[in-house]
Amino acid sequence: MYYWILFLTSALLTIGSSVLMLWTKNLIHSCIFLLGSLIGIAGLYLSLGADFVAVTQIMVYVGGIVILMLFAMMLTGGKDFVSKRQKILDLIPLMGNKKSLIWASLVAFVFLLSQALLLMKIFSSVKVLDEVSAYSPSVEKIGELLITSHELAFELSSVLLLGALVGAAIIARPKKGRGN
Amino acid sequence: MENTIGGFFLKFDFIKNAIASGSSAIGFDLTMLFYIMMFLVGAVAITALLATVGGLGTYAERKISADIQARIGPNRVGPFGILQFLADGIKMMTKEDIMPSGADKFLFYLAPFLCIFGVFSTFAVIPFSEGLQLTNLDIGIFYLIAIASLVGVGIFLGGYASNSKWSLLGGMRGAAQIISYEIPVTISIMSIVLLSGTLSFTEVINMQSGFPHNWFIFHNPFTFIGFFVLFIAGLAETNRAPFDLPEAESELVSGYHTEYTGIRFGLFALAEYIEIFVVSGVSVSLFLGGYNLPGHFLHGTLGAQPLQFAIFMGKTFFLYYVVIWIRWTFPRLRADHLMTICWKYLTPIAIFNLIGCAFWMVLFNGKSFYDLLMH
Repeated sequence: MYYWILFLTSALLTIGSSVLMLWTKNLIHSCIFLLGSLIGIAGLYLSLGADFVAVTQIMVYVGGIVILMLFAMMLTGGKDFVSKRQKILDLIPLMGNKKSLIWASLVAFVFLLSQALLLMKIFSSVKVLDEVSAYSPSVEKIGELLITSHELAFELSSVLLLGALVGAAIIARPKKGRGN
Repeated sequence: MENTIGGFFLKFDFIKNAIASGSSAIGFDLTMLFYIMMFLVGAVAITALLATVGGLGTYAERKISADIQARIGPNRVGPFGILQFLADGIKMMTKEDIMPSGADKFLFYLAPFLCIFGVFSTFAVIPFSEGLQLTNLDIGIFYLIAIASLVGVGIFLGGYASNSKWSLLGGMRGAAQIISYEIPVTISIMSIVLLSGTLSFTEVINMQSGFPHNWFIFHNPFTFIGFFVLFIAGLAETNRAPFDLPEAESELVSGYHTEYTGIRFGLFALAEYIEIFVVSGVSVSLFLGGYNLPGHFLHGTLGAQPLQFAIFMGKTFFLYYVVIWIRWTFPRLRADHLMTICWKYLTPIAIFNLIGCAFWMVLFNGKSFYDLLMH
């Protein structure tokens, strides 16, 4: 019962703010609706009993990604980013012209069809936590798995992050001999 | 459900029996209802308590600053002016709600609520006493760090939506400062997580005790430095002096809330004063023994709750006093000095502490400094 309420509110929040994110014309508003959608996804994780993943979702996306996006928009002039409307499709705010829309819908159709076939089995077996088992903390299990059977992936991702950090430092480093 | 506030009360036999007899009389299991009711009552009580603490915080700030500057301070409303915050609150609620022309209406309304939401959400896990903790999450510390980052979004949007250069500059500074100082805060907290091996507030507190030699601040030299790193970085995260660049009065009027009036301004101010309480409370829980009474006196009984609550509040208010004291003693930093302190000093020191704690755990088998001296 409790998990169903959580699931329904999170799903509504996710879908509703995703639609609003696409509908709004202001880029900053769009970013805020994205925030709502990401929080909704954290709620969905929670309704599946993955508490650690849910909090990580909030930590990474709300605390990091959304603020960085807002920063990027602010530094590049957020107010001027109002999406341009096409003449024929005046009622629907979409980026692109007729040709790109036809191609995109074709690709989306094929993609959705293949995804639906793939995900059919998974969706039919997913259950909300009430029906699976009682809530149990997942931090210890994740920690154990990360340093035993998934050690390689863990180390590789840390090397990737280190590479990104070094790359950023190289780009931001003042160049020699080119003025002060 | 067992680890919410109701779970603590269900440990006692007389409450359990009362619920069992009630359930059999009605013919309907009341346990779930009890959990939900206790959670709601606890949530309302803590919210009301913290709103009062935030209000009294403004009074304390004015009175202490007056003391430091050899003035009298508020002394008209109530005895010693203690009801001043109520007068301020009523004034704020009756003021006109002004919307600057060209402001982004939706975000302008949303920003103060994001701030308040981020601050009050942290109280779901802060332990006031053994029983008075809304939920004992297994990932409580992690949750607190994550949810508190919403405040940064609120400040940033407040600055953006006002359509004013002062607000924009304040908002930009605030967001940059908050995401930078999150790093030393998180790494210092991680050293405590390393020592205790848990992310739950209750377990971290249970590993300490009422006497200072068992507090984590005196566990080893690295945690001693770590406490000060956490406290300084926490000051910066709450935008308090000497790190109050986002609302620097002399340059930015009042930063991100320049254009806010009435109750919306009040919400921003309330969020700031309650956030100081959060930072002090987290420092107390992680480093200064939390609510523990000396020698686990009356541990696990109902009678101990008021005492534990008093101990926790006493320590937290002491740190609260230190925060105000610092504000009226030190001048404000320059923006580049602020970033230098964070990235060139606090972050390396915090990482050094983390590695030091890891080595201490390996070399001395996790024993504290005091244990090594005595045995």
